[in-house]
Amino acid sequence: MATLSVLYSLIYQFGDSFAYLVLAALGLAVIFGMMGVINLAHGEFIMCGAYVTIIAAKRGVPLPLAMLLGAIAAALAGVVIERLVIRHLYDRLFDSVVATWAISLIVQQTMLLVAGPSLEGIRTPFGAFSLGEYSFSTYRAVLPGIALAILFALYLLFFKTNYGVCARATILNARMAQCLGLRTDRLYTLTFALGAGLAGLTGALYAPTMTAVPTMGSNFIVQAFVSVVVGGANVIAGTTPAAAVLAIIQTALTASYGQLFGQIGLLVTVIVVIRLMPQGLGNLFARLR
Amino acid sequence: MKQTNLPATSVTTRALPYVPWILALCLPLVVDANTSGNLAYCLLWAFSAVGLAAMWGYGGILSFGQTAFFGLSGYSYGIFTLNYGDTWFESWLGLGAGLVVSVVVAALIGYMIFYGRIKGVFIGIVTLSVTLVLETFMSQTAGPQWAIGEARLNGYNGMGGMPQLTIPWPGGPLTLENASFYYLVLILLIVVYAVMRKLLDGTFGLTLIAIRENPQRAEMLGVDIRRHQWLVFVLGCTLGGLSGALYTIWGSYITPSTMGLTAAAMPVIWVATSGRKSIGGAILGTALLVWLSQNLAVYGSQYALILLGAILLIVVLGAPEGLLPFVTRHLRRVSGRSRDGARHGRARIRQEEGKS
Amino acid sequence: MLLKPSGWMLLALTAGLALTSLASSAADPVKIGLLEDASGNFALATIPKIHATQLAVEEINAKGGILGRPVQLIAYDTQSDNTKFQELARRLVQTDKPDVIFGAFSSASREAIRPIMDRAHQLYWYDNQYEGGVCDTNTFVTGAVPEQQFSTLIPWMMQKYGKKVYTIAADYNFGQISAEWVRNIVKENGGTMVGEEFIPLSVSQFGQTIQNIQKAKPDFVVTLLVGANQSSYYEQQASAHLNLPMASSVNVGQAYEHKRFKPPALKDMYVTANYVEEVDTPASNDFKKRFHAKFPNEPYINQEAANAYDAIYLYKAAVEKAGSTNQDAVRKALETGSICVEGEQGKVCIDPKSHHASHTIFLVHVKEDHSVEIPKVWADVQPYWLGKVGCDLPNKPDHRQYTPSNLPKKS
Repeated sequence: MATLSVLYSLIYQFGDSFAYLVLAALGLAVIFGMMGVINLAHGEFIMCGAYVTIIAAKRGVPLPLAMLLGAIAAALAGVVIERLVIRHLYDRLFDSVVATWAISLIVQQTMLLVAGPSLEGIRTPFGAFSLGEYSFSTYRAVLPGIALAILFALYLLFFKTNYGVCARATILNARMAQCLGLRTDRLYTLTFALGAGLAGLTGALYAPTMTAVPTMGSNFIVQAFVSVVVGGANVIAGTTPAAAVLAIIQTALTASYGQLFGQIGLLVTVIVVIRLMPQGLGNLFARLR
Repeated sequence: MKQTNLPATSVTTRALPYVPWILALCLPLVVDANTSGNLAYCLLWAFSAVGLAAMWGYGGILSFGQTAFFGLSGYSYGIFTLNYGDTWFESWLGLGAGLVVSVVVAALIGYMIFYGRIKGVFIGIVTLSVTLVLETFMSQTAGPQWAIGEARLNGYNGMGGMPQLTIPWPGGPLTLENASFYYLVLILLIVVYAVMRKLLDGTFGLTLIAIRENPQRAEMLGVDIRRHQWLVFVLGCTLGGLSGALYTIWGSYITPSTMGLTAAAMPVIWVATSGRKSIGGAILGTALLVWLSQNLAVYGSQYALILLGAILLIVVLGAPEGLLPFVTRHLRRVSGRSRDGARHGRARIRQEEGKS
Repeated sequence: MLLKPSGWMLLALTAGLALTSLASSAADPVKIGLLEDASGNFALATIPKIHATQLAVEEINAKGGILGRPVQLIAYDTQSDNTKFQELARRLVQTDKPDVIFGAFSSASREAIRPIMDRAHQLYWYDNQYEGGVCDTNTFVTGAVPEQQFSTLIPWMMQKYGKKVYTIAADYNFGQISAEWVRNIVKENGGTMVGEEFIPLSVSQFGQTIQNIQKAKPDFVVTLLVGANQSSYYEQQASAHLNLPMASSVNVGQAYEHKRFKPPALKDMYVTANYVEEVDTPASNDFKKRFHAKFPNEPYINQEAANAYDAIYLYKAAVEKAGSTNQDAVRKALETGSICVEGEQGKVCIDPKSHHASHTIFLVHVKEDHSVEIPKVWADVQPYWLGKVGCDLPNKPDHRQYTPSNLPKKS
């Protein structure tokens, strides 16, 4: 029984770490991986989703609906930002660094002025269960499952729907897609909104487990960028194995040596993986197929 | 390269590029010592920006690692001077030590990156990871066991109390601060600018542009891509280190938060806003943005960061090639210099550089 | 381009100066500089400090100022950024030339500006709790220090809950030094450290830490976590049903987590603070009334706000004792040991040897519904440690920060 609980504890930690990396990365994988826009405001979409979820839940909206609202709010914010700012930068993607950084500054500071330095949070749903001498939060044990479900839904979206085919075509070769009659500007807006909405969903999912402050998005940024880049250009076949690999290493190091080694180990792993596979993990899978 | 016949350019247009430098040299005579010191502070960040502009604008290498070398160099200066004393000679050796450490570490990391065929955005992530590893590691070195000789690393609270730069002077060593520090920074800036201009306007710069535009073609023409990239990377990172050493000298203090995520993004923001293909633009833009950020903090109270964000947004949307090229282009248009004939060959390339 | 003042311009300048100095002596304001974060990561805990300072200045001016002179507050927003602290400290010292400077929240920002203060012999007050050890001629500290907070808290917790202690601390100076204090006090009182974990400041996910604590089975957990990222621990440990009492020197009193987190995240958290808003004495209630009259939307009046408020009054008392704002005279007045205020947090006196303040320590217990009770109060707890290890500022000028493993050299 003791070994079972220890083993499950490791699995639980891995799932926790994996869910965190994947969910942090998904929105960015769409915006950065697919569209090439370096979105330094990714954390703010997450914050937006979290804040809307908390405000809605405190008004009495049931939690799943509140989370959906959070994701939609972030998606709408994405539409606004894409129309106003991002669409002028498609021919000079490096400048999206400055633009999204500026947006991030403005949003964070405005949130501080409008909503105050902190928002009273909501409780983690579902309670806990115990196994041996350990007890685990049920919600966090379920999060990896939710992450995988979202990945599956994304797969269906990109490969089985009309939008998915059009979006992939546009990303691959925008001019050709335009010649074939696709409304590329509308597709770009929709894809950016999708990325923003996914980030908002991450914020919504983590809102019951974290402190709600205007800078909460910065917790996710580093993990998101490293997972996306290590994964390479492919949203699903790249980000997922990248998150899995990084999660395994981080879990193992944290369990054996503590949080400091876990953090440093994650970053060192990124350097090593990129050095060994300069095109990212996604390419490896593409080539294997 | 078409050699056009140069019509006589007037003395004023030829002297124009030197005017900002002359103005800068005369500034301490007009303003008080504190303003000079503050200007020196705004200018010392420019080295990091120049290094990044060279790497990014010419070499196409987007590195988030400038602040890693900033910190490394600052700590090296502190460790050296706290251990070996604070006479004028040792303080300058400390500055040299900071630069040497930057060169060595940049060479090692650059070797791993370029000879490992890492390209594009991956370079950014690798350099960012290096920076964050350094920051995380240095933040926890608070304990007494983390000391190099006499100098305690002191973790997150930072290392302080290192001596300033001094020069021998009749009547006792002169501490370089305020106006004298300003002149030091300015002289270094002039030297760096001249060297970078010569390098980047010459064969080295053109080779870098060729590599950036089409690496395979450059390779087929016999260019050693990796060696050029490695060289510009080492140069750029060392300039970042110079900024760090000067900052540590200015404030007698260095802390891991100068290597954090926000700090790592700042050089990229400055260079992207000022125009990454223009070295002079990087200097002016960085100094201006640092000065602006300071004054917004003083006068803008809680709206400071919002205003800063708005300004950055407007600049990046309205001036695609960067602030300085935008301004010079409009100045030229206003002063009626639309005659195409009067262009020197190299100036034409520089002009087209600004457009792409 | 070279401007040389011409002869009669110099004359005009002198005349102007003479005129202003004739008229100035009566209404010459006492300039107080303030360097605090009104934005950024730390604003949560520092905005109450800024408001408290403004309240104190307003009250003093309403009563006629200090020595009949009005008080002018020159405040800069340092944006939770160490470089801004350095830039604006320089600006204050060189351009505004205040009579005293108050400010800084994190130890890093204090250490960034202390050299600037020392170089200019500028009187400087640090009004935050911290890891202790600053023995500096120009610096006065009203914040609480480990010997005040831990030597009261830890023995009490050990007596109530048991002798097995697990510490989780932020992995930087404050966390490491505080953990060292905890370790020493636990040993002195016959307890055992069953575990100690140091968490980098950027970490916000504590799954593994919670498992480690469960495995070690302590009687209570000492949590020395700092910052918004690390504060996610409380919700996570509550949702995993860890169910252990917690002891801290740094929560509730500073960032009022019991008001910001949903119950029962902070259930059975015990904190030793030198003031919390829930202190129910006549002086405290009067203070709260005046505070809320000026700042009705203040989310919480934390201990740093009380320290900042009292610091202004302590400075006023020192200036009145010295009879002038001359910084050397004020320093000497503070070193007589008789400068005290008695306000919302009880009696606060400046200890001459270490320049730190004695405090009333309140033991704050957060209950399951996040309401607060104060089971014990210690009065007049002295900041004895620095004096004990050899810091003697009236007789031995100094500028350094010491730690239990880095003591002053015996001279």
